[in-house]
Amino acid sequence: MSSIISIKNLSKSYGTQKAVDGLNLEIQRGEFYGFLGPNGAGKTTTIRMITGILQPDEGEILVDGYAVHEKEYVAKIIGVVPEGRGFYEWMTAEEYLYFFANLYSVSKNNQTSLVDSLLTEVDLTKRRHSKIGTYSRGMRQRLGLARALINRPQLLVLDEPTLGLDPQGQESVQKLLRKLNSEGVTIFLSSHLLDEVSRLCTRIGILNNGRLLVEGTEKEIREKTNLKDKNLTEIFLHLTRT
Amino acid sequence: MFRYIWKKEIQGELYTWKSTLWLLISSLLFSVTSYLLLTNKELSLLDQTELLWLLGKIIIGVALLIVTVDASSSITAEFEKETAESLFVSPLKMKDFIVGKLLASLTLWAAIFVVSIPYILVTSAGSHLAVAFLFYIALLGTLGILGFVFLIFAVSLLFRSSKNTLTTSLILLLGLSIPAVFTSTLKTDVVSQIISKVNPIDSIFSSLDNVLVDYKLSLTQNWQYILPLILFCMLTFGLLIFAMRHFEKKGVISNE
Repeated sequence: MSSIISIKNLSKSYGTQKAVDGLNLEIQRGEFYGFLGPNGAGKTTTIRMITGILQPDEGEILVDGYAVHEKEYVAKIIGVVPEGRGFYEWMTAEEYLYFFANLYSVSKNNQTSLVDSLLTEVDLTKRRHSKIGTYSRGMRQRLGLARALINRPQLLVLDEPTLGLDPQGQESVQKLLRKLNSEGVTIFLSSHLLDEVSRLCTRIGILNNGRLLVEGTEKEIREKTNLKDKNLTEIFLHLTRT
Repeated sequence: MFRYIWKKEIQGELYTWKSTLWLLISSLLFSVTSYLLLTNKELSLLDQTELLWLLGKIIIGVALLIVTVDASSSITAEFEKETAESLFVSPLKMKDFIVGKLLASLTLWAAIFVVSIPYILVTSAGSHLAVAFLFYIALLGTLGILGFVFLIFAVSLLFRSSKNTLTTSLILLLGLSIPAVFTSTLKTDVVSQIISKVNPIDSIFSSLDNVLVDYKLSLTQNWQYILPLILFCMLTFGLLIFAMRHFEKKGVISNE
């Protein structure tokens, strides 16, 4: 397997506060990678640097071998559900997806079938003509996910995609993510929901104070931390206590 | 790709009734002005060319004010409503984003200009100046608005806050407008004359005066007023390029 994300010695500070401190990461193609960390650990900052909307102070990020600032290539293979979840409230879901389909240069001939299939995948077909301003939080999250899939990405970067969703909403998003991963999409998932990460991810990294504390499969993490009889939540709490 | 941003902006203005409101306000102001100019005892004693000159100042003044207020939130709203992140992770280029937004602001100006046409025609009825007046309003208004929109967009990219952008833009607009409304008798000293020559709003009003009052209708006869406007556009365009580079260097999200 080859790396789809390669991060070397990445650092970012806000004033005197180090948000990310010498981070090294290799995400393999086809992986479902869980990126864990308490609030302020540097997860969102890392994601924003991976997606190219925040400049690192130091270090290098390659996406599929291309530097992230080579936007023309990187933006085409990456799908992002960012932390900033703003929508054009006056648009309908359909108009919103057509707008992004145009930005991603999806050909006019393919747009209708693409938008139809995405709305079906995120279960918004019935509300496709409703204004986004009338949508619930869960519907917005699902629409955000549909937008992230508009370019049929090889890599999907998600910043807490199930935040604030009810259990049904979480389950439907998780089901979709599992399906996408089984179709070969690499998923980089930042989440607070340890149970979600434990169930979905093939590999997990735990970040605290901008540093990667431990990385591997859940089993490897247990071994590395010498906490063999503990679950992921207990390991996480143990590692991030300080 | 800029056309998708342009289309989105126009749709947004229409769906949210913003542009309708702006056009209604313009129409009301032009109606009141035209009515007063044509019916008020004292104002109607003015020469027709002076009436047109006053109307021209009001059309351009209203358009500058409306476009300034509207453009101040055009870019910053994308940050404040958290839509910028989704836009900039797409293959959208910065220059397409700016061109799309710029065209939307110019479309608003074009709509205000179209609304003003009947008032211009009514006020200039019987005069041979109607066509020249329309032409110069379109030319001077477009140059003035282009320069101001460049400036507002540059401020938006540097501040990333609609409140700061609006306040700064209105201060700049007022700062340039106030000297322009003084009569030429108050601008006899060298400093006032220099300020008057480099002030874009002063150039617009002086050019209208040149066309309507002095009947100097050709572009060559108005070059001394059009040149400062072009220079103003070039200067603000340079500032916009600097702000775009600064923005790209800092990243779409500059801080947390």
